[in-house]
Amino acid sequence: MEQLDKIGRLKQKLKELNAEYSNIGKLKAEKRAEFGRQLNLAKQKILQEIAKAEQELIDKDTEPLDITAWSGVNESLPEFYPATSGSKHPLMAELDRVTNIYQMMGFDVVESRQLDDEFHMFDSLNFVKEHPARDGYDTFRTEEGLIPPAHTSTMQHRVLRSYKHNLDEGKAIAVVVPGRVFRNEDVDATHEHTFYQCEGVYVSKDCTMGDMLGILREFFEKYYEQRLNIRTQPGYFPFTEPSLEFMIEKPKSLGGKKGDFLEMLGCGMIHPNVLKMAGIDPNEYHGFAWGGGIDRLVMLRYGLNDVRYFESGNLNFLREF
Amino acid sequence: MKISLNWLRKYVDIKVPNDELIKLIGARLVEVEGVIDETHKYDKIYVVKVTKAEKIPDTHLTLCQIDVGEDSLVQVVCGAPNVREGMMAVWIAPGAIVPASAKEDAPFVIGKRKMLGKYESNGMLAGADELDFGDDHSGIVEMDPELAKPGALLSEVFDLEDLILEIENKSLTHRPDCFGIIGFAREVAGILGQKFNDPGFLFEEKVFPKGFLQRVNDGLRSKDSDLSIQILRPENCSRYSAAILKVTDATEKEKYLSEMQILLAKSGMNSISRIVDITNYVMLLTGQPLHAFDYDKFIEVGNSKKPEVVVRLAKKNEKLVLLDDAEVELNENDIIIASGHTPVALAGAMGGKNTMVDDDTKNILLESASFSLYNLRKTQMAHGIFSEAITRFTKGVPCGGTFNVLAETVREIGGKTVSVVDCYPNPKSQPTVEISVQEINDLLGTKYDEKLIISTLENVGFEIEARKAKLKVTPKYWRTDIHIKEDIIEEVGRLLGYDNIEPTLPLHGTSNTNPMFELKYEIRDIMEKLGANELLTYSFVSGNLLEKADQDPRNSYKIVNSISPELQYVRQSLVPSLLDKTYINEKLPVDWFAIYEMNKIYQKEWGLDDENVPVEKMSLGFIVAERKQRETAYYKAKKYVAELLSELNIAPEYLPLKSNAASSKPFDEKRSAEIRLDGELIGVVGEFKNSVRSKFKLAQYLAGFELDLDIILGKANYKKKIEMARRKSEDLTVTTNDTYGETLKKVQAEHPDAKIYPGTIYQGVHQKTKNITFHLEYAE
Repeated sequence: MEQLDKIGRLKQKLKELNAEYSNIGKLKAEKRAEFGRQLNLAKQKILQEIAKAEQELIDKDTEPLDITAWSGVNESLPEFYPATSGSKHPLMAELDRVTNIYQMMGFDVVESRQLDDEFHMFDSLNFVKEHPARDGYDTFRTEEGLIPPAHTSTMQHRVLRSYKHNLDEGKAIAVVVPGRVFRNEDVDATHEHTFYQCEGVYVSKDCTMGDMLGILREFFEKYYEQRLNIRTQPGYFPFTEPSLEFMIEKPKSLGGKKGDFLEMLGCGMIHPNVLKMAGIDPNEYHGFAWGGGIDRLVMLRYGLNDVRYFESGNLNFLREF
Repeated sequence: MKISLNWLRKYVDIKVPNDELIKLIGARLVEVEGVIDETHKYDKIYVVKVTKAEKIPDTHLTLCQIDVGEDSLVQVVCGAPNVREGMMAVWIAPGAIVPASAKEDAPFVIGKRKMLGKYESNGMLAGADELDFGDDHSGIVEMDPELAKPGALLSEVFDLEDLILEIENKSLTHRPDCFGIIGFAREVAGILGQKFNDPGFLFEEKVFPKGFLQRVNDGLRSKDSDLSIQILRPENCSRYSAAILKVTDATEKEKYLSEMQILLAKSGMNSISRIVDITNYVMLLTGQPLHAFDYDKFIEVGNSKKPEVVVRLAKKNEKLVLLDDAEVELNENDIIIASGHTPVALAGAMGGKNTMVDDDTKNILLESASFSLYNLRKTQMAHGIFSEAITRFTKGVPCGGTFNVLAETVREIGGKTVSVVDCYPNPKSQPTVEISVQEINDLLGTKYDEKLIISTLENVGFEIEARKAKLKVTPKYWRTDIHIKEDIIEEVGRLLGYDNIEPTLPLHGTSNTNPMFELKYEIRDIMEKLGANELLTYSFVSGNLLEKADQDPRNSYKIVNSISPELQYVRQSLVPSLLDKTYINEKLPVDWFAIYEMNKIYQKEWGLDDENVPVEKMSLGFIVAERKQRETAYYKAKKYVAELLSELNIAPEYLPLKSNAASSKPFDEKRSAEIRLDGELIGVVGEFKNSVRSKFKLAQYLAGFELDLDIILGKANYKKKIEMARRKSEDLTVTTNDTYGETLKKVQAEHPDAKIYPGTIYQGVHQKTKNITFHLEYAE
């Protein structure tokens, strides 16, 4: 009742305000605009208050429940839906599969952040101040200048710092970083602004590019459960030097034929500046890093042709898994 | 970028088969996106002589007899205005494919046909456009009689049996030197293990007469030169070389089809005029873009007698009409070339209309410069200009070569050089990198010997001083990307082939598990068993969605360059996104579903963490919805959350919802509970406010929960209590007015040994009290 009275009072006030509009003609011409503006403001405010009060009224109109109970009065105890209709998201299942293999290979797993800053995203990765990737053509930014990361490499600096003690103990840093990343690009069947990547970071006293190629080949051989030929292509990333694109011969399980190669990820020897910034002496240690998309692995596995399914939330799709 | 293999072969001796070469380029230089096979594109196309040309009355057509070699004459009807007796032309013979249509799905095969019902025409005389040598269709091409005799295959005259490589520019971002045939050929030589022979002009300035050039404090200039160049800020333009040339009159030769025109076409550029073609040709060859101004117009718009080139940033509100007639509004990042005060070119991007070279041009001002790639990248995006020149400038054209290339261009153009100035305010010297053979092998994991490493580097122009396995390596001026040891290691590894590096597996320690990953993994298993579907939704939501869920957008980080208003705010909790997906799924023919997501959430009110980045939390959101159900949805959601938590060995309390947290906002406080463990809030479960449900347009049977997985992580364990003992059980019904929870406490107190399971709650129509049934189990 109280709520209804309140709404009544507000509506009365609105009526009075509306009546004020007729007074506008009595004012001097130069005062009319300001008067109208004030009136509109007041009216907006009341309309908002009415909407709020009305919402409160609707929300009040519910029966309280005994929240401690396990069923309603005279109702049966609820049941779970059948296990056969349950499913894991294919991207998450794939991430689990990927991280499990890396764990078997001795890699720790650290999940990537979804909101980061300029320092981790660019500065710590040896992007020069004027690098075009900073200008926001494909990187999102918040009002505060924070960045939803465009790559999982945003975690490299943190990983290097937090695992530096491994080096002091004579061990290697071996970490993979799966996570969600964001690029400001239009969505179509093969492009998403939101997708998943998995980064790898390895640092030790005497690791080589041969080790990098060996680890990556090992991963994909475990992942596809077959021996694989690998191939590389020179690439360019500010945070690795040398930089490579890594390819595998398309596995038989994906219908691959001899000579078909799939680009799987970008990789390279960690740039000495990146190590230096994390407090690791590049004269004493070197390392390598890599990063590749997870979405594509899932699309290849299931023969999917549209990346937009993943974040669609559509049950017809999800219940297929 | 398009690279003609035949053009490449002029600079490097390629002995390996083409497919092998392309594979090597891909593996050791740059991704080859595609290969255009032109080996048969010009089959059955000949040089011919028009021996007779008679106008067909009342038409634009000409009936021609052509000599196609060995004195055989063929009749062909030609519609071009420039066909005439005695000229040498190009004939596409019947059965040949018209080259311009070669790329199409159904290439056009020319045949023999009757024109106007009576004139037999065999094949056709070809224009440049039909031959795919540009878009000129003003007439047929004319061949230089000194170049070929009638009957010669056009493909032999101009070396047209070619493969064109389509190069992925992106992976050469740091290699401006590879954006010219010479630089590309140098790399190919290096890959093939051959020493590259650099054309002399890259080092010498012999084009100009002796004594013509003088060295002054900012570079070279010709004696008595009155050309002045002012670079206002050297960081915008590190070097500007320019020459004023008196252009010789067009010669007879210029009308003939030329190799230059063909090379431009193969590289994807159109022939425009002799001067412009030469500047483009030199650019394709060297990677150094050039621009030719009409000198007399330059003087005229500059409104001064003396030629004054000013390189400066544009001023606000300055405008310039470009060569393509588009008027651009310049911004303060754009570098411009001005004649005195008047802008005449958007530097590096496009020349101005006001100084355009045309058929009447008598004198030109030729520019060869290096501009800041950072300014030009912004200019490129601001004005949407993607010319061949700006593509190169945005890679950072090396300033070491502008003058040499200018000199070569002057030689190509010919004419009389009036004035030359090379403005180079801060000449750069090349760094020398010291590295040992061992350092190279240590990083690559190889055993390359010193001799091989030295020759590999020397093949592509590095200068090396070797002493006791230590190398002092100095790059030539065109390599602007060599600064540190790793850059040299990259060169060695790449040129010798990364694929020749033996993959090895290092031995290192074992790994630790990631507890949050373990937890999520566990939850995924549990929820699948409970028939729920995991989904993923975007991390960004609309302000409208937040408001629909009763959350305050001001508590969300806001994206300033979002793709759409739908993706403008970083979400504060997961349930609102799930409500959105519930609406979509309620439209599908499914009667019931339980969906959930585990993802990260952010709220401004949580502030920043130790690293000065926003506090992030891992959350689990869940929704259950049914179409036809009349019972109370709250209890279904509660059963789900209770079962999930019990699998994690967490037994929380369900208390009246008092929390004002953002994630609780969509929930109806009278029909929801806070989930607390040891007093700590770990989540909320319940039905949604009427207003929220109606704003999301959702059905009545709807409930959900949101859990803070970071807190749960600290409390969860995966132990199972195994009880093998036989149990005895009984049901106990209590008639009461109390809540279930209060009643349960009493029952527990009376039956301390029992495990108590909830039964049903019954209340008759006229009854004032409820009958609550419990199911009790005891160990026997």
